[in-house]
Amino acid sequence: MIKKYTCIVCPNGCEIEAFIEGTTIFKIDGATCSKGKEYVKQEIANPQRNIATSVYVDGGDLPLASVRLSKAIPKDRIFDVMNEIKKVKLTAPVKIKQIVIENVLNLGSDVIATKIIDRIV
Amino acid sequence: MQSTFYKYTGIEDMLKFRKMYRDKYGGVCELSQIYDVIIIGAGVVGSAIAREFSRYKLKIGVLEKELDVCCGTSGRNSGVLHAGFTYKTGSLRAQCAVEGNTEFEKVAEELDVPFKRTGKLVIGFTDEDMQSLLKYKALGEVNGVKGLEIIDKERLCELDSSAGGEFAMYSPATGILNPFAYTVALAENAKQNGVDFYFNNEVLEVKRENDIYNLLTGKDKYQARWVVNSSGLNSAVISTMLGIDGYTIGGFKGEYFILDKKVGKHMNMPVYPAPDSKGGFGIHATPTVDGNILIGPSSELTKDFEDYGVTSEVLDNLIDKGMKMFKPFKKEDFIRSFSGIRPKRIVKGTRQTLDFVVETREEVPNVINLVGIESPGLTGALPLARRAIALFAEKEKLISNEKFDPIRKGIVCFSDQSNEVKKELISKDPNYGEIICRCEGITKAEILEAVHNCLGVDSMTGIKNRTRATMGRCQGGYCQTRIAEIIMEENNKTREDLVYSRVGSYMFKGKVRE
Amino acid sequence: MTVIKKDVVIIGGGPAGLAAALQLRNRGITDIIIIEREKQLGGILRQCIHDGFGLTRFKETLSGPEYSQKFIDQVEELGIECITGTTVIDITSKRKITAVSRKGLLEYEARAVVLTMGCRERTRGAISIPGTRPSGVYNAGVAQAYINLHNTMVGKEVIILGSGDIGMIMARRMTLEGANVKAVFEMQSYPSGLPRNIQQCLNDYDIPLYLSHTITNIKGQSRLEGITVSKVDEKFKPIPGTQKDYTCDTLILSVGLIPENELSLAAGVNLDNRTKGAIVDENYQTSIEGIFACGNVLQVHDLVDFVSLEAESLANSMADYISDGKLPECKINITTDANISHTIPQKVSGKKDFKLSMRVRKPLKDCEIDVIQNKVVIKTVKLKKAIPAEMIQIKIDKTKIRSLGEIEVVVVVR
Repeated sequence: MIKKYTCIVCPNGCEIEAFIEGTTIFKIDGATCSKGKEYVKQEIANPQRNIATSVYVDGGDLPLASVRLSKAIPKDRIFDVMNEIKKVKLTAPVKIKQIVIENVLNLGSDVIATKIIDRIV
Repeated sequence: MQSTFYKYTGIEDMLKFRKMYRDKYGGVCELSQIYDVIIIGAGVVGSAIAREFSRYKLKIGVLEKELDVCCGTSGRNSGVLHAGFTYKTGSLRAQCAVEGNTEFEKVAEELDVPFKRTGKLVIGFTDEDMQSLLKYKALGEVNGVKGLEIIDKERLCELDSSAGGEFAMYSPATGILNPFAYTVALAENAKQNGVDFYFNNEVLEVKRENDIYNLLTGKDKYQARWVVNSSGLNSAVISTMLGIDGYTIGGFKGEYFILDKKVGKHMNMPVYPAPDSKGGFGIHATPTVDGNILIGPSSELTKDFEDYGVTSEVLDNLIDKGMKMFKPFKKEDFIRSFSGIRPKRIVKGTRQTLDFVVETREEVPNVINLVGIESPGLTGALPLARRAIALFAEKEKLISNEKFDPIRKGIVCFSDQSNEVKKELISKDPNYGEIICRCEGITKAEILEAVHNCLGVDSMTGIKNRTRATMGRCQGGYCQTRIAEIIMEENNKTREDLVYSRVGSYMFKGKVRE
Repeated sequence: MTVIKKDVVIIGGGPAGLAAALQLRNRGITDIIIIEREKQLGGILRQCIHDGFGLTRFKETLSGPEYSQKFIDQVEELGIECITGTTVIDITSKRKITAVSRKGLLEYEARAVVLTMGCRERTRGAISIPGTRPSGVYNAGVAQAYINLHNTMVGKEVIILGSGDIGMIMARRMTLEGANVKAVFEMQSYPSGLPRNIQQCLNDYDIPLYLSHTITNIKGQSRLEGITVSKVDEKFKPIPGTQKDYTCDTLILSVGLIPENELSLAAGVNLDNRTKGAIVDENYQTSIEGIFACGNVLQVHDLVDFVSLEAESLANSMADYISDGKLPECKINITTDANISHTIPQKVSGKKDFKLSMRVRKPLKDCEIDVIQNKVVIKTVKLKKAIPAEMIQIKIDKTKIRSLGEIEVVVVVR
């Protein structure tokens, strides 16, 4: 059977076709680079996603610090990870790449801050 | 803006005066007391009546169902100060229009509101049109309108090169004003002279006991010796509630387009098509005193007096007609559309329109009843108010309020000032240096003044109507987040409390993170 | 009032302005000032917290704030002058700039000006959606600012109009924060945004996308209560009988971006009616001498990486302009056929290599883009697919260009 995918790795958004029989992938067509092939293989085996959201910051020049994950996590765990992130309360100052939650839910990915928040007195 | 009644000696003086002014006239009044007069409806007429009554030693209260003044028909029109040439001679419409038109320079000065006596062109294309123009020129002259003349195409182009038409009637007396600014100014002047305003108070029931009227609203109970009905679209309903039955209001809805200020500079004065046989104007083009252009209104009968939605069929028709009045018209210059409903007093079951009603009745004591006030209600607001008070004076002696001050100061418009004045304003108050509304150039100082207005209004549209913020081409895309923050900070409001315009129009569902 | 003289004034400290400043510095121009109206630099990237930025430039997938921070760090390190919380209120054709801040009113006279003011969103009013005026109708960018910067949730039951990238990004963002995004409606017969966003913002969260639909009514007296959608024909007119009602309390509009050129007009800059941005030559110089433009204020971009490249290219030309006093005249006009919406630049000198940016008007498969001058094809690009959502960039070699003759860019569909 043929399954179609839109690769999300880069803005090209290549439309890739995977020829699958049972659990074996015979052919992957349409990827412009190797990342696309890897993406489709991962999608078939265990779809992974990154997410971007915010955490509460106390005493900063902004009320929220944006965060993302250092690595993609299984797609079906997105909302579990969101629930962990919602519990966090940071105190300013916040640095970019600061680890907000280490190895969230043991998924091998850290929640890292993506914005500088200065402390206001 | 300088007035002939108080001349600032400089910026320092101006800011000091305004602070003293705000400290003196702000404040809250107690609720439980018997009013001499309660006015139902804070549109332009109700606010004018409140202001005129405050010249006398009377305890006045105003009950308004919305969260601000000017929410009904008063805020949904072309903003024209009519000359009075289309109204039946001797009618209240004709009298109030001519009176209101003549005195408006003084009124605008006293209340510090923008006004331009631009003149108006009523254009024609056919012989029929010319007959119509001649008819209304004659009628206008009988009514006391000055300066009407029939002009040819050459003179037409001289006066306004963007106008369509083969010939026209020129009415030099017509002017344009900002109906929000005017109503707010009347209400604020009334408030500073002691009138209480109660918003979110829709009158549901009125009972007279022991010579006192008891008014029950959705929020509270009020008592007054006199009641004035100036409730516009609801005037027939309130009239019945007060005991004067038999009036019918027909709601004639009109939709408008607003065009960008960029095209606004192409138009000097309102351009109307020649009136039809009943004196009704069709779709016209009007520059606003702030520099936009309005195209409209349409006219359809509606039974739903709350239906301010705009429809696509009408909008298409506006585009078509608008192009005839204003030649440079382009769809991409649209900023937004809006609608209003004219409360016409009609003969029940027909579309026949009747004159304004300003009356008292022997069998319903101490009620001043205004029914069916639509155009020229804006022009005639103060003349109507004086007639209402004259009816009061027939029954009770009026004692002058020696503390009455007709002067009211509006918010200084930073973007209108020269660079020198701008610099001075910022050095005295750094809030003038923080631009909040980029499209209209409105500063934080102006927003703060609006947020702290003496009527206590702090809905988003309340701030918009007092400053013009969010009225520009980005429609709040840049400034809305900032204004919301300022309102919440200044008035200690939570996100859930913040309201957009009407009761229940909450803006947010709380925080993202607690 | 003292007028401050500067070599370069940059209006807007977003990614375009920051990249231009850094490249100018690299070329030895030091007398620069960046004027930014927000309290912080970074422009719209401050609120774009999702990733996907920097893939070509940094080979990393960064969030918006991280991408802009890389430039802000360098600007700070190099000591390039910036003033924030300062809004430019006027600019003349003689490059005199007036700005206000809490500190006062400032006037500058610049040898060269970089316009990098970005863009604004098209509004409900401008597209005249019929219906009432309740609260709860938000432009996507405004909703994004509320949620990501102001810690404010705008609503819970959401409908989105417009399948542009920002609309789809907000579909995902709001879903992550617990909102119920019921559907995305798109008037065109194809999505306006990138395919990867359809996958990762809509499909991932089971949010349906309805093409060839538009909103024909908005309901609610105080807060939004619902909307009516209709299918549309090829002329975008609602098809009678296809109306469907949806209840919702929030409507997010993602119906297009318009370059913010009010200041440019004040300076007398000529705008291109197709882009609503300035008409520029290969140096990104506008019709007013010494005034240059790049980034979203020139043409709406989909990738910030290209914005940075455009700004650097502008800076290189500007550096030449400042040292030489002027740049070679650009008399060769560039026109397009009906398949292409616009090109930047709109004119060239023929003496310089240049990069042509363009977009197709509708999705095309297996097509060829030919750049033709004097009936000779000077460059051909073959594409398996081309969509309006993706800007196409074509490098043109100066050796291929004649000194005379209009250049035409056409699409040949095989």
